[in-house]
Amino acid sequence: MKALLTTSVGSFPKPEYLSRARTKSSRGDLSKEALRELEEKATAEWIQFQEDIGIDILVDGEQYRGDMATYFAENIEGTEISGLVRSYGNRYYKKPIITDELRLRGPISVDWFKFAQAHTDRPVKGMITGPYTMMDWSFDEYYGSRADACLAFAKLLHEEARALEAAGAKVVQVDEPALSTRFDELPLLVKAVGIVTKGLQANTVLHTCYGNYNDIFAYFNKLPVDQLDLEMSNSGLDLLDRFKREPLKKEIAFGVIDVHSHVIEPEALIRERIEKALTIFSPTQLFIDPDCGLKTRSLEEAQAKLRNMVAATRAVRTAHGWT
Amino acid sequence: MVHTTVVGSYPRIGDTPEEQILRRGIARLDKGEIDEAALKSLEREVVQAVLREQNEAGIEVVTDGQISWYDSQSHLAGKLASVEINGLARYFDTNTYYRQPVVRGPVSWKAPILLDEWTFAQSHSKSPVKAVLTGPVTLASLALDKHYHSKKALALDLAAAVAEEVDALVRAGATQVQIDEPILTRHPEDLALVAETLERIRARKGKSDLILFTYFGDVARILPDLIDAPADLVGLDLVQGAGTWSALAKHGSEKPLILGLIDARNTKEEESAGVAKKVQELGGSIDLKASYLSPSNGLEFLPRDRARRKLRILRTVADEVGVAG
Ligand SMILES: [Zn+2]
Repeated sequence: MKALLTTSVGSFPKPEYLSRARTKSSRGDLSKEALRELEEKATAEWIQFQEDIGIDILVDGEQYRGDMATYFAENIEGTEISGLVRSYGNRYYKKPIITDELRLRGPISVDWFKFAQAHTDRPVKGMITGPYTMMDWSFDEYYGSRADACLAFAKLLHEEARALEAAGAKVVQVDEPALSTRFDELPLLVKAVGIVTKGLQANTVLHTCYGNYNDIFAYFNKLPVDQLDLEMSNSGLDLLDRFKREPLKKEIAFGVIDVHSHVIEPEALIRERIEKALTIFSPTQLFIDPDCGLKTRSLEEAQAKLRNMVAATRAVRTAHGWT
Repeated sequence: MVHTTVVGSYPRIGDTPEEQILRRGIARLDKGEIDEAALKSLEREVVQAVLREQNEAGIEVVTDGQISWYDSQSHLAGKLASVEINGLARYFDTNTYYRQPVVRGPVSWKAPILLDEWTFAQSHSKSPVKAVLTGPVTLASLALDKHYHSKKALALDLAAAVAEEVDALVRAGATQVQIDEPILTRHPEDLALVAETLERIRARKGKSDLILFTYFGDVARILPDLIDAPADLVGLDLVQGAGTWSALAKHGSEKPLILGLIDARNTKEEESAGVAKKVQELGGSIDLKASYLSPSNGLEFLPRDRARRKLRILRTVADEVGVAG
């Protein structure tokens, strides 16, 4: 029986040599080709690591991305990239500016998907930054309406999803970290994600994180995807009661690793979290992963956390006789 | 002639290396390469640049840009007794985060928080520097309350602390003191509590003008009562809170207002003549000569070069209103 499949949300930390190369490249001291070579090396290493520890559904680790919205916008016509704005504290990022009608120049992430998938026989997720998040994280100088900008992104990202599927993606994930920004816009998000996933044969996933889930709970079953990928360990474990009363009619990827903490969760703690989840969800419905992308952790922390996650999942499978 | 002002925050870095000294400084402080005093002097360099940019744009009442603030909540609350600072939480509907204050016991003011920053800024500014404080009800709403278990009780103690700070600022010479209560755009029912806290702050405002500012949405439903709140001026976000325009045109205002009509959350540039015309249309229902034009909220959500352009648009709108008025 396929029980408790393990996966990841998307990003992994970049190895030291790649971070240095990116800095050099941004100063113009390293060619695009040389940078690409190191991004490929890091991606291949992460694929190998995931295979080695035994993760079931892989990600490419986003070694080639800076910011998730900017990366997509850079490959969409009708956008510019702004100067730096503050996220919090001393962290800054560049935002897309929509200056004209949005048009797809060509596939955005398909090359990287193909590269990663060529290095493994296990499924690699295709990863799309969702239309609502693209809109919410962009300045809009063209559409003049949040809904229009969001739906314009959705149409393009549907093309991207189709291209990923055509390239062999068995799983397509739509990242919507901005999902809980404005509750009154949840119907817009549902509509936009529905445009992206329409007609796909691939298993579709929606990832979100760090929101007030209680306020968006009523929308979980309406989200037009096969699987929800939720941050649970950081704040969501108390949601389980609500899932007991109002069952989820989808698969769930259940975050058991806090990506904002340096602490490496011990195997026993992760086992406990999985067992708790199993009181609500069936073992085939339940997928195990970290809360969110691991890119803000050190390489060593991220790998140690993933190792414990896989070991804990195996232990639970064995204990229940699911092998 | 209508006046011009800003709301509070300003982008602390730009795209040139000279505009990034603070970012590099904080990174070096984290690595132990420089000390707090060295960082402070970098902050002050940036404050001077921010004052210069507002001055060059022709803004009449300026701020220090809140350059030393980690965020709108922890900078103030973190220096009060019985408050700890926790992890990050999303700040309203922005893609920015604040460190959440956790209230562990009775809150009280210990020592001046903004006084040094304000004094430095005013001593380097030709125009008056407005002192800006996050309001007690917004602070209470965004904090994690482990002690009072009552928003009202917490807000009233926070109001006492804010009042102490206002007293210190006014004694040092602040002529305008602004209390930000963005929570009113989400919870208009909190207006009575805001009014009650403002009464306490007003008692310590001396000769200064006390301003109540709301942003991140409209306050159309509570506008007449909001204008009646115990403040000398009321500031309104008329961009994200565009719904307030019609209420304003209908009810008017006896009290001078700050009209936040330049979009501080989008880079798109306003057409000044169109905005000026809308302001003139309000001329019959509010006292434009005693009122101000401003961005819709703090400018730190924009890249630095765009913030500068928004200030220039603001100035142009004010000039166009003035000529025709
Ligand atoms: Zn996430």
